[in-house]
Amino acid sequence: MEIIIYGTINSVALALMALGFALVYGISRIPNFAHGALYVITGFITWIFLRALNLNYAFSIVLAIIIAGIIGAFIYQFILIRVRGMSISEIIASYAIGLAILEGFRWGGFKGMTYTLPVFIEGTFFIGDIPVDVHRTLVVIIGAGVVTFLWLFTRYTRLGLALRGMAQDERAALMLGIDSDRMAVVAMAIGSMLSGLAAIVLLPLGNIVVEKGYDVLIQAIAVCIVGGLGSWVGAVLAAFIIGFAQILTVVYLGAHFQMVVALLAIILTLILRPSGLFGRQKELEERV
Amino acid sequence: MLEAADLMVFYENMLALNNIGVKCAERQIVGVFGANSAGKSTLMYTLSGIMEDIRKKEEMAGGERITVLGQIEYLGQDIMGLKPSARARKGIVLCPERRRIFKESSVIENLRIGGYLASKSQAKETLDYTFELFPPLKRLKKRIGGFLSGGEQQMLAIGRALMAQPKLLLLDEPLLGLSPLIQSLLVRATRGIRDERGISIIITEQYARPVLPIVEYAYILENGAAVLEGSRDEVLNNPDVRSAYFGMSEQ
Repeated sequence: MEIIIYGTINSVALALMALGFALVYGISRIPNFAHGALYVITGFITWIFLRALNLNYAFSIVLAIIIAGIIGAFIYQFILIRVRGMSISEIIASYAIGLAILEGFRWGGFKGMTYTLPVFIEGTFFIGDIPVDVHRTLVVIIGAGVVTFLWLFTRYTRLGLALRGMAQDERAALMLGIDSDRMAVVAMAIGSMLSGLAAIVLLPLGNIVVEKGYDVLIQAIAVCIVGGLGSWVGAVLAAFIIGFAQILTVVYLGAHFQMVVALLAIILTLILRPSGLFGRQKELEERV
Repeated sequence: MLEAADLMVFYENMLALNNIGVKCAERQIVGVFGANSAGKSTLMYTLSGIMEDIRKKEEMAGGERITVLGQIEYLGQDIMGLKPSARARKGIVLCPERRRIFKESSVIENLRIGGYLASKSQAKETLDYTFELFPPLKRLKKRIGGFLSGGEQQMLAIGRALMAQPKLLLLDEPLLGLSPLIQSLLVRATRGIRDERGISIIITEQYARPVLPIVEYAYILENGAAVLEGSRDEVLNNPDVRSAYFGMSEQ
């Protein structure tokens, strides 16, 4: 029972971390290695609004997520657009941006355990005899909400449908008047906002530290590789596989093996099924 | 409506289009015929602006150097150098060779994505028109694009292009690999689109016979150059064309 409850919570947390990365890659084929940095930056921005400027918590959150979206759009519009189409350069450029942001924070003195965000609602309740705190329940609810929102957004809105079209065949989308650069900016903005949302939901469970940025990036990449790069449905499924595997590892092997699960999952997937659960890579090769 | 002159396209030093001029008047159906690699698709890409996208991508990746020269005037405006999405917004919509439908989306979703440029009422009206034009699509509404037959995919590709509210529709080899029955259905539908919606159409094919009855003016390409142009009857009565593109020898 404990495993099911905490496995679910952990899986949803992973899904939240990975969705932004999966979405951006799925739509515009950009591996956004600044993903983790956007996660941390949103945490610090919220902290600054909340603690240094004494703004309302809800207001700080909304503002920080919007700023994360704007930063993401800027990263594409002014930097990534220049190396578009060259995957190695895209990786190097986005990783460099991520490093600059994360190490910039470290250099600026944002280190140590002093930066925390409050949980949304204090309190604990019991499922059977297992204690669950309210915030962790909120993580699951918000995660489910995000997935539902994405599903509806990509199926029933003009913009969402255009993004789906571009994800499947960029050139065919161009012929229908869908501007690929504008869509990539939108994708980066949405992906960054998702990353920011994940930060705001998950950071109250721990401290805001620079290292989280690298950790989140690795988890996100693991989830996306297992799920198949570019498929956010696959990412959600993979988040559950890795999430439960992690909790099982913690219960039966010990907490310090938790990080190994994600890395092992990457290696196993690359050996056994390189395109992941829902990957398009292989299919593409066949088409050529 | 559209007037392209002196179009030259180079891939590195290879000449893909050699000094081609194409005209299409309002409500006209223009045919472009030629064998494989004669330059039909290159011409369509150049008119629709996809060439600009290909050129940009090649340049970024350090691949082939593509040069596009010439003028394209559309509705009195010079559109040379405009992005494909901007040209689509002006009404030039390409229905590409090999259809390129969105294989993971359902039929209705393909059409909805096509309606990106349409207003809500336009989208609804065009959707109804498309289902009227191609009744099988209505039945297959929920079917995933990749599971459709070739003919159904072609209907979907044309319907999707119509959803983008074209004024000038570019059909690149719409009959490729389809049965004669489906071919004649598509040819009739093409004429219907022109007659009922007032859309001008440029259509390319390797084999002229099935399309020629609906074409008012035709160009014949060979190795990237237009070797012959004229009204349907002029083209039809040319002895070289008869043997090369209609499979008819002089008796």
